[in-house]
Amino acid sequence: MTQKKVNNLARSILNCLVPVLLAFLAGAVVICIIGENPLEAYGVLLQRSFFTSVGFQNTLHYAGPMILTGLAIAVTFKANIYNMGVEGSLLIGGFAAGIMGAQLTGMPSVPVKIICFFTAVLFGVAFAMIAAVLKVKFRADEMVVTMMMNYALSKVLEYLATTVFRDTGAGYVCTPTVSEQAMFVRIFGKSRLTVFFFLVLILLAVMYVVMKKSRLGYEITAMGKNFEFAEATGMNVGKKIFLIMAVSGALAGIAGAGWMLEDQYHYTLTFSSNPGLGWDGMLIALMGGHDPVGILVAAIFYAGLKTGADSINMYTNVPKEIVALIQGLIVLFLAVKFFNERFQLVRRFKKAKEA
Amino acid sequence: MQLLISILYDCIYHSTPIILCVLGGMFAYKANVLNIALEGMMLNGAFVSVLTYFYTGNIALAVLLALFTTLLYGLVFSFLGVTMNGNVIIIGLAINMISTAVAGFVLVLMGSSNIILQGFDLNALKIQIPVIKDIPFVGNIISGHPLTTYLSFLLIFLMYVLMYHTKFGIYVRVVGESEEAAKAIGLRTNVYKYAAILIGAAGCALGGMNLSLERLGLFTNDMTAARGFIAIAAIYCGQGKPVQSAVYAILFGLSRSLAVNLSVYAGNAAGLFDCFPYLLMIVVLAAASYMKHKNVKVRGF
Repeated sequence: MTQKKVNNLARSILNCLVPVLLAFLAGAVVICIIGENPLEAYGVLLQRSFFTSVGFQNTLHYAGPMILTGLAIAVTFKANIYNMGVEGSLLIGGFAAGIMGAQLTGMPSVPVKIICFFTAVLFGVAFAMIAAVLKVKFRADEMVVTMMMNYALSKVLEYLATTVFRDTGAGYVCTPTVSEQAMFVRIFGKSRLTVFFFLVLILLAVMYVVMKKSRLGYEITAMGKNFEFAEATGMNVGKKIFLIMAVSGALAGIAGAGWMLEDQYHYTLTFSSNPGLGWDGMLIALMGGHDPVGILVAAIFYAGLKTGADSINMYTNVPKEIVALIQGLIVLFLAVKFFNERFQLVRRFKKAKEA
Repeated sequence: MQLLISILYDCIYHSTPIILCVLGGMFAYKANVLNIALEGMMLNGAFVSVLTYFYTGNIALAVLLALFTTLLYGLVFSFLGVTMNGNVIIIGLAINMISTAVAGFVLVLMGSSNIILQGFDLNALKIQIPVIKDIPFVGNIISGHPLTTYLSFLLIFLMYVLMYHTKFGIYVRVVGESEEAAKAIGLRTNVYKYAAILIGAAGCALGGMNLSLERLGLFTNDMTAARGFIAIAAIYCGQGKPVQSAVYAILFGLSRSLAVNLSVYAGNAAGLFDCFPYLLMIVVLAAASYMKHKNVKVRGF
């Protein structure tokens, strides 16, 4: 590796690590304030989610959908399109897959899943397309539009889940449970890990090729650097926005369907939990620097935080909401590049050595 | 008739927090800083005001603390976004997440999912305007709102004056339109950006306080329900002009009021009415953006 590459790598790793450490530090202060021991809480968190076999498998299980939403966000954010609709695509995809999975009974396992995923992709893409059309044809700001649409969609799904598709047998608002053939089976029994995670890895590999080696990936980077320049070089930016939003919506739809068929089995009002898998995806994409490998690492790390949050709740007196706070702080610190091109870290080290 | 009165009364009622948010946020818009933390700041205003009242029972203190803490968020936003040159969109999203997390964290520590102020007399906060309240029809609509509501409508005109008829307002707009030019004539651009963001924070704090303490006397963690983003949409539609933006905020208030009042007659479909205001904002934003860009011949986005 050349000097410059080493420098770049060191910088990007530091730019990712420092915010995480700062956020944990701030979290520790808060834990101290409520009179608990931060080391104990963090110890429990890391121990349970990374250093036990079942715990780590559960972490991977939760990482699955997050990798996909992370990729869905990265594809658009990297091109300077702020698609907040990933959460919405995930919800509508999960909902559609849940309904299909419940309706199709008595079919073999594989075709059912294919149909479920297909429907989820269809709805996820359709949802993302609305914002794309408004962006390209009407020049409406995609961030505001997708945000509004998320709220509108969650109200519509709430309505559908409480009326048309309500499972009247259940004591709370939810849609009917998906048929057994549609469910992913747990591989190891004890942990929640299913085959879906390995499907995610395949998709990740595909997206790696798309983002790093393909023409589309190059065009995404070009758009991210400068829309006008990309347009001037002969790219049809409008068309690319449609394509990118479709990819994003499809990934989020698959994430939703996977989450439905491997973990939730029916749509409830807390399907994507709070703050939601789409939002987690945003943090993961930022932490991973919009890079597929980075996203894999960030997703596993973040899923560990989430599973660890429950352990914190169970084994210490610290409320698990502390993790939501740490999550927000990580995003906050990630927004600032602490080490930029001017800050030549490796060279400084070398100079120090020579001197 | 009664229905019409309650629709119009609720329209003013639902418009207030968004107007405050819009009036604050448009300065940042004019200074070319996209402040999407309006939502989180509003939530913080709502949360801190109710929390303070819950423990002290002092309304003045509640308002002051809400303002103070929200301004702190504004300072964090300005420092990271303006001084440190961070990505303001990401900072805004982070602040939205943090304020929700802080509120959630404190609620768990308090051992409840919401704060309800027992024995808090909401009617005492409503101001009955003499003379006007006796006018039939109009009196029922205009009279009987809390103080902040009247303040917000008054502020529309004050902010108009501040933006267009004072040095400060002109400088903020210069900074937004051309930062190089502003620097060239010796303006300290960062100061104006800070000021613009902090005005936004103050507006959001008041809006949040109105939303939780003044209107309902309770706090739940999802109560802002994207009003901050609706405010951003309103600012975009009105291109940051005080009166126009406020009109879009009122339009949202009206649609919300229609949704609430008409859902009584909708039976099962009542739940669907809730998404109407959001959809309306999307349509309005699309139309406004289309009109704005219709005559732009330059390619690109």
